[in-house]
This record gives sequence, structure tokens and C-alpha cells, in this order.
Amino acid sequence: MNFARSTFHGGLLQTPPPWLRDAVRDMRARYPNDAFDVVGRLALNPSTGGHVTIFRLVCGDCPGKLLLVMAKGRSSGKGAKSAQSSRKAGNALGYAKRQSLKSKALSPGDVGDVYEYQQEKVRRAKVKLQLEKDELAGVGGAESGSEEEGEGTTSRRRDTRPRLVGENDDDDKIDEDEDEEIDSDGAFDESDEERFAGFSFSHKKKAKSKAKPKKKSDSGRSVRFAEVDLDEDGDGAKSDAQADEASEDSEADEDEDEEEEEGDPSEFIDVLDVLDGRGEPESEDERGKAQREDVQKERASRKTAEADEEDEEMDSDEEAHSEEEDSEEGGDDEDEEMISASEVEEEGDDSALLDLENFVTGLDAGQKRKAPDDEDGKEGEEAKRARKRRLLPERTEAGAENEFIASSGAGKLNLDDLLAPLEGQSSNLQSLKKSAKVLSSSSGKVKTLSAPLPQRAAEKLDREAAYEQTKEEVDKWKATMQRIKEAEHLSFPLQAEPKSRTSNLELAAKFKPTTELESAVDKLLKSAKMRENEIAQTESLKMNHLSVEEVAARRAELAKMRDLMFRAEAKAKRIAKIKSKTYRRLKKKERARLAAKLGEDSEEDLDDEEARLKREVERARERATLRHKNTGKWAKAMRGRGELDEDQRRDINEMLDRGEKLRRKIRGEGESDDDESDDESDDAEGEEGIARIKAKAFDELAALDADQAEVPEGKKGKSIFEMKFMKDAMAREQRKAHEMVDDFIKEMGGHDPDGDEEQGERPDVDGPSGAIVQRVGGRVVYRPGALNTGIRPVGSLASDTSSVTLKSTDLPPEARDTPIEQSASPPSSPIAQRPVPPPAEEVNPWLAQASAAAKAGQTKHEVAISKESGAAEKSKNKLRKRVQKRLEEKEKAQEDAAVDISLSTVMTLSEPGPSKAKAAQTSTSSSAKPASTSAAKGKARASQEDGDDSDSDANSEVEEQEKALAQKGKGKGKANGVKAFEQRDLVALAFAGDNVVQDFAEAKRREIQEDAPKEIDTTLPGWGSWGGKGAKKAPPKPHLVKKVAGVDPTARADYKKAHVIISEKRDKKAAKYLVKDLPYPYTSKAQFERSMEVPLGTEWNTRLGFQRATLPKVVTKIACSCPQQSQLRTPASTLGLPVACVPQHPSTY
Amino acid sequence: MERMFAKPFVASLEGHVDAVETMARKPETLDIVASGSWDGGLIVHDVSRRSRLLHIEDAHKGKVSGVCFGQQDRLLSCGVDRNIKLWDSHKGFEESGEEDDTGAGPSKRKPLSIFPGKAAFNSIDHHRYDPLFATASNLVQVWDETKSAAISNLTLPTSTETVTAVKFNLAEASVLASIGSDRTFTLYDIRTGKAERRIIMQMRSNALSWSPTFPTTVLLASEDHNLYTFDIRQLNTPSQIYKGHVAAVMSCDWSPTGLEFVSGGWDRTVRIWKEGVGTQPEVYHTKRMQRVMSTLYTGDARFVLSGSDDGNVRIWKAHASDKLGIVTARERAAIEYRQSLKARWKADAEVNKIARTRHLPKPVYKAAQLKRTMLDAQRVKEERRRKHSRAGENKPKAERKKVVIAEQS
Repeated sequence: MNFARSTFHGGLLQTPPPWLRDAVRDMRARYPNDAFDVVGRLALNPSTGGHVTIFRLVCGDCPGKLLLVMAKGRSSGKGAKSAQSSRKAGNALGYAKRQSLKSKALSPGDVGDVYEYQQEKVRRAKVKLQLEKDELAGVGGAESGSEEEGEGTTSRRRDTRPRLVGENDDDDKIDEDEDEEIDSDGAFDESDEERFAGFSFSHKKKAKSKAKPKKKSDSGRSVRFAEVDLDEDGDGAKSDAQADEASEDSEADEDEDEEEEEGDPSEFIDVLDVLDGRGEPESEDERGKAQREDVQKERASRKTAEADEEDEEMDSDEEAHSEEEDSEEGGDDEDEEMISASEVEEEGDDSALLDLENFVTGLDAGQKRKAPDDEDGKEGEEAKRARKRRLLPERTEAGAENEFIASSGAGKLNLDDLLAPLEGQSSNLQSLKKSAKVLSSSSGKVKTLSAPLPQRAAEKLDREAAYEQTKEEVDKWKATMQRIKEAEHLSFPLQAEPKSRTSNLELAAKFKPTTELESAVDKLLKSAKMRENEIAQTESLKMNHLSVEEVAARRAELAKMRDLMFRAEAKAKRIAKIKSKTYRRLKKKERARLAAKLGEDSEEDLDDEEARLKREVERARERATLRHKNTGKWAKAMRGRGELDEDQRRDINEMLDRGEKLRRKIRGEGESDDDESDDESDDAEGEEGIARIKAKAFDELAALDADQAEVPEGKKGKSIFEMKFMKDAMAREQRKAHEMVDDFIKEMGGHDPDGDEEQGERPDVDGPSGAIVQRVGGRVVYRPGALNTGIRPVGSLASDTSSVTLKSTDLPPEARDTPIEQSASPPSSPIAQRPVPPPAEEVNPWLAQASAAAKAGQTKHEVAISKESGAAEKSKNKLRKRVQKRLEEKEKAQEDAAVDISLSTVMTLSEPGPSKAKAAQTSTSSSAKPASTSAAKGKARASQEDGDDSDSDANSEVEEQEKALAQKGKGKGKANGVKAFEQRDLVALAFAGDNVVQDFAEAKRREIQEDAPKEIDTTLPGWGSWGGKGAKKAPPKPHLVKKVAGVDPTARADYKKAHVIISEKRDKKAAKYLVKDLPYPYTSKAQFERSMEVPLGTEWNTRLGFQRATLPKVVTKIACSCPQQSQLRTPASTLGLPVACVPQHPSTY
Repeated sequence: MERMFAKPFVASLEGHVDAVETMARKPETLDIVASGSWDGGLIVHDVSRRSRLLHIEDAHKGKVSGVCFGQQDRLLSCGVDRNIKLWDSHKGFEESGEEDDTGAGPSKRKPLSIFPGKAAFNSIDHHRYDPLFATASNLVQVWDETKSAAISNLTLPTSTETVTAVKFNLAEASVLASIGSDRTFTLYDIRTGKAERRIIMQMRSNALSWSPTFPTTVLLASEDHNLYTFDIRQLNTPSQIYKGHVAAVMSCDWSPTGLEFVSGGWDRTVRIWKEGVGTQPEVYHTKRMQRVMSTLYTGDARFVLSGSDDGNVRIWKAHASDKLGIVTARERAAIEYRQSLKARWKADAEVNKIARTRHLPKPVYKAAQLKRTMLDAQRVKEERRRKHSRAGENKPKAERKKVVIAEQS
């Protein structure tokens, strides 16, 4: 403890009392970082005229700033003690004082003097002043404190509550303070020294108060421990002239105003509680011991708070004391009874009161000395000015009696503390608690509702929210907009009014006769009761009059009518059917005839001379052969017999007729055939009219009947055919015809019954005619046999038959072919002189085997043919080629499917081949034998019978082959088959003759050559130079040498790339029309090309397609103002955008 | 061929003595158009008949700065004389019917009511359904037709600008937008009664127009020779820039289809753009046409009106080579065929070139050339600067990002 600075002047100064020392020690202990000092100072007590020692606590750290004043009565020897505290605490203190002032406003004014003193202090430094006041009050009002407290607390409670809610109280306080200030100013003048005055006053007060304090004074322990913080002091220094109000100002200046203001009341209340613990000793520890029953709970809570922050504790303690003092002062004059009463009211605790009293007395032992007279004098003044008095008590108390608040201040005030006193009383405490919960929850720091944002910030937030809202609203259109954007075609107005179809009923309902005519008609209708709405009624009325029979009759009539109608319909249908049938027939015939004519024409065109010659020959032959004249052998014989029976005569007539017909046919002018003529007439008449056609249809039916009737006639003819003399002549022809029929059936798949009929007829009547007709060639229609020749080139008959045989064997080509070849080779080998070069010349070396085999087969085949006539050879060749081709194709296909062909399958395939072939051979041979015999005859015949010859030749050859096959096929068939169908062979056959690589290289070389730069000499010999003998050849003139700047082979893109040919040609003209980049909507070149390929015009499209393709993207309906959107605010409900349609002005627009 | 024989100019409507400042089409009609001029005159035209339905010579003292149609044939006009006047145009129609031959001479008509304001008005627009209208002076105010004072003031509290134009959205009728001399575009909503968002751009806008089919789209005609469309849901970048004018764009208006719009510029041209196509607009010009101060589409999207400094209102075809009069089905099919052929072959350079080229008056052509040169130079300079600064230090900024400087709320 350093008391070096505490000076003692002339013995007037007193040594610091032991409690002060203790207090300072405590402080040091608590704040080891701060340097405290106690300074004693002598002051004059104006009222008494005596000296008082004032002790100041000085903080060494902040010189001049921290001045803690402890004043003590001289006589008592007790000093005041102050402790440093935070600025906040100081403020809180000031506020507490103000509050207490207010609360004391009504308290009796015996403290008037004190007030004045205080004012003096205030003038110097308000904080100090306050402190001193507090001290004074503490000293003076110690005795009567308890009663005051009671009142004070209640009043405070009253005050504090509204404070919590609103802040207006501040202003009030300020007002009060101002008043006080003025007063105090006045009072201050009188005083010499503030502190002294304060003390003196308090002393007086104390003195005036009852004797109780005396006891306390003995204890000498009553200490003031006032804390003032630096700032307060600073303020004080600044505003010397200012009174209490200044403190308010300073508070206002400070940042934490609000907090403090709010915090303070709580502190007050805390103080209330603390009241009880006021009697505690100065130190905290001590205070902790002293406990009152009533406050115990609060204590506990407070202690926890203490633990948190010591500083705040201190503050609150101090304030608590001041409060106590306030109350004490206010109730100076009052009885203890009152106090007790109040206390009872509050807590119903007497013991507390007792303690308080004890405490108070203990505090102010030395103050008794103070002169009471002054106080009395002042009392009068105070009584006059209630306000001042109010102030005074507070201030005096603030300094207060407590012996040391440092200890007594339990800690931070809680909301619970505030509410605790109410517990017993108020029923709505709970609700209050609830509402206060929010505040209490943030117990650690003083939390408040945040202040409303500044207007601009708030508005900004509002705007942002509003914008979001609008965005949301607008965003509802999103789907609609999307749809419009993606639409391929837009037709405005987007939301057209739905078209309503007007019905008749609607019109009738709306109809009102306007013109004369209309009204007249209407009148008539009306009179007849036939108008739309009446008609049903009238009808029913009429029905009512009828009898049952009448109704029945009507119905019957109706039914009849219906029946008639139905019949008519059916008839019509039938007629239509016939019509169509006939028509079709006619068409068909016409077509056939046309074709025939065309064939004739072409024939004539092709070989004019030959054809004519041929025809002549034919005619001659016919004349010679046919029985169309009675010049024939048979006719002559018949004539020679003289008499003819009816049958014979008819036969002759028929023969003549036929002859006539044929002649006409040959001339190509007319057809005597029944069918033909019918058709012709049909055709001619078909053009005339429907009625005729109908008739014709029936005619035709009849004609068909007649045809069928003729068939029996034909059979009659057969009877003729049975006649002996006919048989010989017809035998050969018939055979031929049979062959032809076979062929035809094979070719045509067995249709055309007419042909059958004809065939049936022809052979019996005239065998040779068939041959003649065949020679005509063009007349295919009339002879089914000729069809073959028509299709095939001349002389292909042999091949035909061979092919037929081949087909009939029904072998798979490879199975059919190779055995034939193989088998054919031995017999033909001796004859083979002229081997045809095989088509597969260049065959891969690894395929050599197979090709050799193939070659052998081919050559042999060839030889077999070659011995015969040229035409036959040709046809043979063709056949062979065709067969081979087919074979190759087949093989290729097979290779494609599966390159590996198992031998077993091949064998199975080849197995049935020979047997079938044999069967076929036998069948053909039987038919071919007679042919061969005839062929032998035919050789002797004229050369024009080529066809016949070849045919027979072919037949004979086939026979030979088949025979060979029959011989060899059995023995070797299998082995040969296996050998033939080896994989390599197949491949060889498939790729025979394609040397792709060489071809490609060649092509590339050609390409390069073409593109290479060239020099073309365009000199014309003899122009611009001497010619003739001895003339020197002039060098080429440069201007006549045309240089074509091609592409250098080394500069080519495909140079040294053996596998590609990259064309260097670029069509400059076309390049102009090439598109540089792919246009927008397309994603690939192919896509674009395809779209460009599709033509757009009507010529290449259907009408609808054209319309669709050319529909413009936007179509607006004229006479519609398309704009603007719906009134419907919910876009979800709108399918498009509605538009009001307004008719356009009929104008020149 | 079409291009060669295109005759876009249809007619000219006379009557104004001074520049035609503003035009407005009567909603739900095709061709009733009101125009206000610098001389204070107000004319209601029947475009299809090319006649005047109403002619008020001194509707305002000073220029008529804004015209719009209200409900039931009412006409609202505002002027720099700080008054808004409500006219009954219907009577005018009747009168014009009587004196159709003379062409509706100027009438001494009195407005139905006058709404006095505190500052000169720059623009006026009517709500689509309600009897409300908004005006732009130094404030944006909303008025009720039946009340003499503004019912609300929507201006942003921080704004100190002069608001040059204000327009209601057509589909979302309570959404309002304005442009101001502070290079701002501001969005309001009369339901919340607030200015909601404001953007500040490089240059100020001269006109704005809401798209009729796309309620979120607003078109701004900017002083920087460009037009911008903004999506109001995202105002920080324009959705499209339309470049073509060689001087400030003074006016713009959407086609009723919302797929095209017209703009008139200080460069004495009228240009017709396709929505979403930022270049190569159709260009209309005439020797005698001066600065185009106002443009308008007719209700059927076939014609375009332009009001210019020379006091004439000109009628143009919206599609230069359109055939007027009756078009037979056959003819139409042929036209459509030709058009689709052109569309198909537009990728071809030659075809495209023909479709693209426009004949321009020499000054415009030169100006365009000059502008191109300048822009090129600028670009080159920037590129060089970039090249000589540390890599990645200044990255090229997209043109679109440059437009909006700040977005405020």
C-alpha cells in the first residue's frame, strides 16, 4: 500500500482509515495490472466550517483521468474509497442515479442542503458529483435507508417497467435533471468545495437522522466504494459548468447508450435485491457470506453472473448501494415502520429490515457528528421544490451507505432478478416472463431487438423482394413463350375465336321475314301450320285421323317401294359388273392385238428382205402342203372317188375354209376365227356406247357358249383325225405339237386355256401348219409354240430343250453342271478340236487346280456343240455362258454367306443330282428319239429348216450327254463332286478374272497422266512455214504450243498413297455454288444434302405437300389486329395469345 | 427481282407543322393513329383512309411530348407545358365523318379534363385494362383518369434524373418500365408501387417498347446506335444487340406479331428488324425524310409509320416487296413458293448476297463505312494492348457484357 501521496496537512488531514487500506488492497488484488493510489486532501466544509479529509483513489496508469474520490468526515476519520471501473459502469452509475432521482421526486425534502452541495460537485465534474452525492447519501441516509428503500424500489419498479418498453423516460429524466441543474447551479455558488460540501451535507443528514447510525459508526467499517470510470472523469473535466444533465449528454454521446439505458434498470432492481445484502461487509467475500432468506435465489443467480464478469459486478454493486441510499435518503424522515411496511409488502421479511438497519448504523458511525441544523434549514427549501428533493436523495444515496459495494454487488442484473419481486403479486407475471424470455435468453450480453434498418436499406430490400415477385409473375409466361419460339408456323391471331358453325335450326330460329315475299311465304306456312316448330304437331294430328287399315296400307306401300328400290339397285349393280367385265376383256384383246401388230412391224423392219422371202417360201409351202385347196392329194383322191357322202363333203368344206382363213392370216389382213371376229366387233362397238356394250356382253356370253358348242365340233374333227388317211400326215406334227405344248406349259406355267383349245384343234386338223406358222415368227399369238422362239433368238430351240431338260432335272446348278461336264468329256474328247479360250484366264495361282478342271469341262462341252451347225453352236455357247454365270453367282452368294462349305453338304447335294438327271434323260430321250430320226431326215431337207435341225441336233446332243452321264455318273459321281467343290475352287470361281490391284494401279496411273501438265502443239503443218520437198521442219512456235498446267504427279494429294486416288479435278463453275459452311439448322452434310435434294415445286410434289412445304412461318390474318396478349393473367390457361379481331376498313389500304 | 421492284413507300400523312415527336396506335384497331408534334398539335389519323379524324392545333403549349389512347376513345396527351389533357376523340370521329371531304380542319376543342403536373412531362402511357396511366417527368407517376392528382409516385428515391419515356407491359399490365437521362432503365410494378430494379447502361436510351408476344422482353433504342432487347428476368446483359443504325436510334416499336420491330434513327432511316437477328435490317429512306423521331407498326403488322423531323407521318410497307390489294390464291401460292425457294437457297453465296444488299443513301453508307473503320481500329488497338500486357491481365470482354454498367435495386 502506497500512501506516499496521501498528504497530511497540518494534522488536519487524516490518515486513510483501515477499511480504505483494506479496500485498496482488495482492489489491487483484483486488478493487479492497475496501479491504484489513495490521495488524501483537505477540504472545507462550508456548512460547518470545519475541515474534512477527502481521499481520492488515483489510478497511476491513466494520470488525471481516473480520479476516484473518497470523502470522509474528518472527525470520523473514514475516507471514501473509489475504484476504477469501466466507462460503461460509470455511465450506468450516472443513469442509476438519475433514475433514483426521479423515483425520489416525491420524497420529503429534508435533504435539500445536500442537494445543493451536490450541485456544486456537479458543476465541477458531474460524475464526481454524483459519486459524492452517492457517498453523501450513503453516509447520511444510512439510518433511515430501509424505509426509503421500500418506497424506492417500488417507485423504481414503476419507473423501470415503462422504461423497458419505451425510451421516452429518458427525456423526462433529462428534464428533471435540468431543473435540478439550474437549482444546483444556484446552490453551487455558495459552496467552496464540492466534495467537502457533499460530505458535510451527508454528515449533517446523518446526524439529523436517528441514533442508530451511531452504533454502526463504531464499527467504522462503512466504506464507500464508488467506481467511476475514466471517461466519466474526462467528461467531468470537460464539462465543469455542466450539471447533472451533462452526464446525460455524455451518455448520449457514447456508443453504448442504449445498452446502458436498458441495462441500468435491471441493475436498479438488482440493487433492490441487494438491499438485503447491504449489511454485508465491504469485501465481496464477506458479502457472499451474508445472505438473506428472501434473496437467496437471486443471490445464486447473481453469483453466477459474478463469476462471469467481475467488473460489471462491481458496477452493479455500487449502484445497488446508491439505490439503497436513495431510498434511505428519501425516507429520511419517515419512520421505520413505513419501511418495514414496505418491506413487508414486498417480501414480507422483517429480518431483512433489521439487517439493513444494522448495516446502516454500522456504516455511518462518524456521520452523526454532522450538524443537523443545516439540514433542517435546507429541508424547508426542499419541501418547496419537490424536484430538487427528488434529485437529492438519489445523489446522496448513490454514494451511499453501503460499506462496500465492491463486495455487495452480486453481479450482473438479470431479468429474473427484475421479475423476482413480482412473483408473489402479479398474476400476469408468467406472461410477462414469457414475453421477456427472449431478452433473458441472451443472458450473457445485453441483447436487444435490433433497431429497424435505416429507411433506405429497408426500401432497398423491399424493392428486391418486389422484383423477385415480379419476376416470378412474369415467369409464368415461360411456357407460352417457349411454345411460340419453337413453333414452326405461327398463325396470328394466336388465339383465334372459335369458329361456330351455324346450323339450320339456329338460322330458322333467328329468321324473321323481312321482305314481302318472305312474309308471304311465312304467312302461308303459318296458315298451313307447316312452320318448323309446328310441323311435327300437324303431322301427328293428321295421323290421328287415319284408320288402322289405312295406316297398314300406307306401310305396305312403303315397303313395296323399298323393295322395288332395292331390286333396281341390285340390277344396276349387276349391269355395272358386266359392263366392267366386258370392258376389261375388250381392253385385253386390244392390247394383245396391238402387241401382235407391233411384233409384225418390228419383224418387218428388222429383216425386210429375208422376211418377205421367207413369207413367200412359206406361202409356197403352204400351197404345197395345206389342204386348203382341193388340189391336194387327198382332195384329189376324194374328188376322184366321185360321190361324196355328207360327212366327207363337210370335211372338205371345212378344210377349204381353214385354208382360206390361213391364207388371210398370212396376208395379215383378216381373222376368220370366231373369237377373233367377235373380239373385233366388240372392240369396234365398245366405243359406241354403254347400251351397246351391255348388249355385247350378253352377245359375248352367247358367243362363248357357241365356242363351247364348237368344242364338240372339234371332237367331231377328232373323229376325222381318227381316220386313217389323216394319221400318217399328222403323226410328226402331233409329236412336235406335244413338245411345244410341253414347252409352253413349262414356260407359261400352264395357263391360257384358249391356247390349249387351239392346240387341241390344230394338230388334228393340220399338223404342218404349226411349223409354217412358227416360221412366220411374228405371229406369236396364234401359236403358243412360237412364243418360245419369239423370246429366244433364232436357233435357240436346241438350247431350249436342253435347258428344259436341265430344269427338269432340278439339280442345284453346281451339282448339275459338273457331272455333265465330267461325263461329257470322255466321249467328246476324240472330237474336240476347237477349244474355246476359257473365260477365266488370269486366275490366282493358288486356284489353278480348280480353274484347270473348269477349263477341261468347258472345252469338252464346247466340242460337243461345235461339230454341229454355227447357229446351234452359238446357242450352245450362250446357254453355257448363262449356266456358268448362274453358277458363279450362286457360288458367290454362297461364299458370302459362309465361305466354308463343308464337303459333306456338297456331297449330299450332289447325290440326288445324277439319279434325277437319269430320270430326266430317260423321259427326254423317249421324246427325243423320234426327233432325232426326223433330224436325220431333215438334214436332207432344205437349209431353211434350220430351226428344226438345230432342235433335233440339240436333242441328240443332250441325249449323248445324258447317256454319258448315265454311264459315268454312277461310278465317279461322288468322287468328282467332292473334288469339284473344294473351297479353293469355289473361291477361284467367285473371283475369277478380277485382278483388282492391277486394275486399280492402272486406273491411278491413267488419272495421274490425265492430270499431269501437258504441252500441246497446235501447229498446223503447212501453215506459217514452208512445205514441200526439201523444206526443213520448223521448230514449234512457242505461241502455238498450248500449255496445260495440270497437277504435278508429285504434288498430288495421293502421291505415294498407293491405295487411294484423290481426284485433283475441281469444277470451278460448280464451286461457285458450293456452300462454304454448313447452314445453321443442319448438323451434318448428309442432312443438308438430303434437304436440298428434295424438290419443292408442284411438279414434284402433291398439292398438299407443296402447300405444306411452302407455308410461310408467320401467317397473319388480314383484318385482324393481331397484337397483344390476353387479359388472362394465368398463362397456364392460355394456349396462345389472344387477340382481338376487328374488321378492317374496306379501303384502298 | 422483287428487290428491284420493291416500293416500300406508300403514302405520307401531312398536317404537322413541326417534328412529329410521338405517335400512338389505338389499341384494338388497325389504323387509328394519334400523333403529337413539336408545335403542340395533335392529330388523329385514319391510316387506311389517309384522313384526319381529329386535329387539335394547340393541344399544348410547346411540344406534345406524349400521346396515348385511353379507354373508350379517349385520348391522353401530355406536353412540356406541364399538363396532361384528356380528350374525347370519339366526337372528333363523328365530326370528321361530317366534314370528311375537307379533311377535318383544326377544331377548337376543349379537353375533357386537364391534369396539372409539377414538371414538364416527357411521356405518357395508358394501362391496358384499368383507367390508369403513367407519366414521366422527373418522376414516374401513376394517375387515375378520374382523379386530378397523381395517385402514386413510383420513382426510385435515389434518382435525380429526368425520365424520358415510360411504358406499360402489354401482357403483364401492371409492370411498367421507364428510361431516364441518367442512362437508366427502371422497372416498376404498380401493384407493389415500387421501382424494383434499375440498370445503368453505357449510353442513354431514347425509346423503349415492350414485346407484345413475349412479356419478358423489352426493347431499348439506345443513343449508341444500337438497339437492345432485355429479358426483365435477367437485366445484367441484353439478350440481343441489334446493330445497324449509324446514328442514335430515336424510336422503336414492336410489330404486333412480336417477331419484328421497327426503329427510326437520327440517321434519317427507318429500319425493320427481325426478332433475334441482330444485323441486316431492312432499310427505308427517302430524300426528304429527316430525323425519324417516332415509329409505329400498324395493327395488322403490314405497315409501318414513321414520324420525322419534317413534320410528316409516312406510311411504309413492313415488307418492301409486298403486293397491295387483293392477292389471289394462285398468286399467293406462287409468292410463297418463291419465298421458300429463297429460304432454301439462302445458304448460297450469290442468293444471299442479293438478299443482303441494300441500297443506302450516300451519307448513311459513308457513315457506316466510317463507323466500321473506327470500330476496327478500336478492336485492333485493344488487341495490341492485350498483346503487350501480361497474359491474362485484361481479357476481352463480350460486347454484351459491356452494355450494362450497373444493376441496382
